[in-house]
Amino acid sequence: MPEDTKVSPIEALPEAAREYGAIGEVSDEPRWGMAIDTERCIGCWSCAVICKSENDIPLGMWWNRILTKGDDLDTPTVGEFGGLEMSWVPLACQHCDDPPCMKVCPTSATFVDVEHGRLVAVNQEDCIGCRYCMAACPYGVRVFNWGEPEQPAEGFDLGMVEARPVGSVEKCTMCIHRLIEGQVPSCVWSCPAQARIFGDLNDPDGELVRVIEERGGTQLLEEKGTKPKVYYLEPRRRRSL
Amino acid sequence: MSVATAARAREPRSWGPTWYGLLVGGMVVGLVCFVYQWVNGLAVTGLSNTISWGMYIIAFMFLVGVSAGGLIVAAGAELVGSERFASLQRLAVILSGTAILVAAISILPDLGRPQFVWRMIRQPHWTSPLIWDVIIITVYLTIAGIDLYVLTRPEPRPGLLRTVAFVALPTAVLVHSITAWIFGLLVARPFWNTALLAPMFISSALVSGLGLLIVTTFIVQRVTDWEPGRGVYDDLGRLMVWFIAADGFLLFAEILTTYASRVPDHLKQLNVLLVGRLAPVFWAEVAIGVVVPFAICASGLRRRRGWVVAAGALAMVGVFAKRINIVMTSMFMPLVGLAPGIPNGRPGQGFAPDPIYIPTWVEAGILIGLASSFGLLVTLGVRRFVVTGRVPSIRTG
Repeated sequence: MPEDTKVSPIEALPEAAREYGAIGEVSDEPRWGMAIDTERCIGCWSCAVICKSENDIPLGMWWNRILTKGDDLDTPTVGEFGGLEMSWVPLACQHCDDPPCMKVCPTSATFVDVEHGRLVAVNQEDCIGCRYCMAACPYGVRVFNWGEPEQPAEGFDLGMVEARPVGSVEKCTMCIHRLIEGQVPSCVWSCPAQARIFGDLNDPDGELVRVIEERGGTQLLEEKGTKPKVYYLEPRRRRSL
Repeated sequence: MSVATAARAREPRSWGPTWYGLLVGGMVVGLVCFVYQWVNGLAVTGLSNTISWGMYIIAFMFLVGVSAGGLIVAAGAELVGSERFASLQRLAVILSGTAILVAAISILPDLGRPQFVWRMIRQPHWTSPLIWDVIIITVYLTIAGIDLYVLTRPEPRPGLLRTVAFVALPTAVLVHSITAWIFGLLVARPFWNTALLAPMFISSALVSGLGLLIVTTFIVQRVTDWEPGRGVYDDLGRLMVWFIAADGFLLFAEILTTYASRVPDHLKQLNVLLVGRLAPVFWAEVAIGVVVPFAICASGLRRRRGWVVAAGALAMVGVFAKRINIVMTSMFMPLVGLAPGIPNGRPGQGFAPDPIYIPTWVEAGILIGLASSFGLLVTLGVRRFVVTGRVPSIRTG
């Protein structure tokens, strides 16, 4: 977090909006996680776009993107019984409990932030730009500052997040700057379909754990043993278009 | 002094200045490209967020590989008490040491922030294979230096040479294994994530290293009046048969296992090689790097120097193709490959669902610089230690 942040957009929000985005009760030692309800997701990319503006993500990069199941971005697939189907996999850092990227980082620039809910964090100061973590991440969610970061327009940057230097790797921080202020990540807050549920995986009574248990939440590439803290909730019924 | 002067006099004047000029020119080109890249970022390369490792890593793998031949031939010959390759020992160690030195340098242009590379030493993260590779490369380089020192003493001490060889051989095996484990330990890349990767790196290293030794022996013999022991080409060719056989066998075992067990992620990446976009490079690798040199070295053609040298050169080309294939197969096929793919990373270029990688002139320039540094160091080493030194040659004696 930079010392000289501009007026926090969170503070500027109306009371009702801040209440809407407030993190509920958490355990003594929170382990931040998220569930994404693919039954509710409409593939609108709102969360991806707000993520870009919230985190001042330079042009050509995305920390969060919405993948379409099937072969094409905008073409439904023909389902098993002949109906048309379309569904999405919103993808950002999975904040693994056993992150392959952290293990291979030669300088510990990528680390598990035990003080902030065991999120996987990157300290760009220590990053030497070897991109080993990008090779090691099974999800392909890390992006590299190939050149000088470019913003789409003057003033686009909210000043909430420090700029990342050329030659360093960056990725989703789970909006750590918002979590510190007691607010849920931007993608969660902004989802028009309320498909994202944020919370504490260490709180067995919380909504997040309840919904993962009820719906049998799955992890992406679970067989790789990375133990992601992001869960996907499969649709409860077949949806043909 | 008089020896050096004599050596200089022995060289034909026509090629010397041109050769040095080319090499120094190549180094300048490489340096200029490196500075240009440093100023502008890696955006000047053909790399993207999907294909995040490219020619620099391929060059690194190849250079680490060719460093095998020399030290293993020299040390192996020493350990089994074979005197056949005694005449080649100095040349072999120079090639090994230089290759590993240039390999270490080739990592720098791959870094986004090379000015902070020292942080690997200040705060090493011990679970990273990269840290272990740095350590083993340093050890290997040191051993090559000690080996060269021992070999070039006026009074060679056979016991000392044996001790060095005893340490050098396991170190050489480790260098290739650890370099392989940089790739082989990643769950994200099924094509790399095989226990056979380290053995394959060793066998490929032996093939390309021996190829380099054969070709360099030939060149030094042609341009100076240095003579290797009689029959070395035949002997090296005989060794090459075994190395290529082992390398080809491991490759076949890996492909058969993957193909027969049909694990989806793994098979998807393998298909890029067998029938996909990398198929031309892969089948060239098999033909040029395995079939042809094996046929030459296993047949009577081995007794003819020109053929053995050709086989050595082809084997090197084949192993270089193999390095390209190893890196690119995994990079082409990310595990989560749904549309629209991974963002390219540059303004206005969108996503890359079907990524391609074309190295730019900057990458080419830096590779030229690395090759030129290698050529220059080997040339200087050969002039200093091989051509002018007293070469113990058993069979010519």
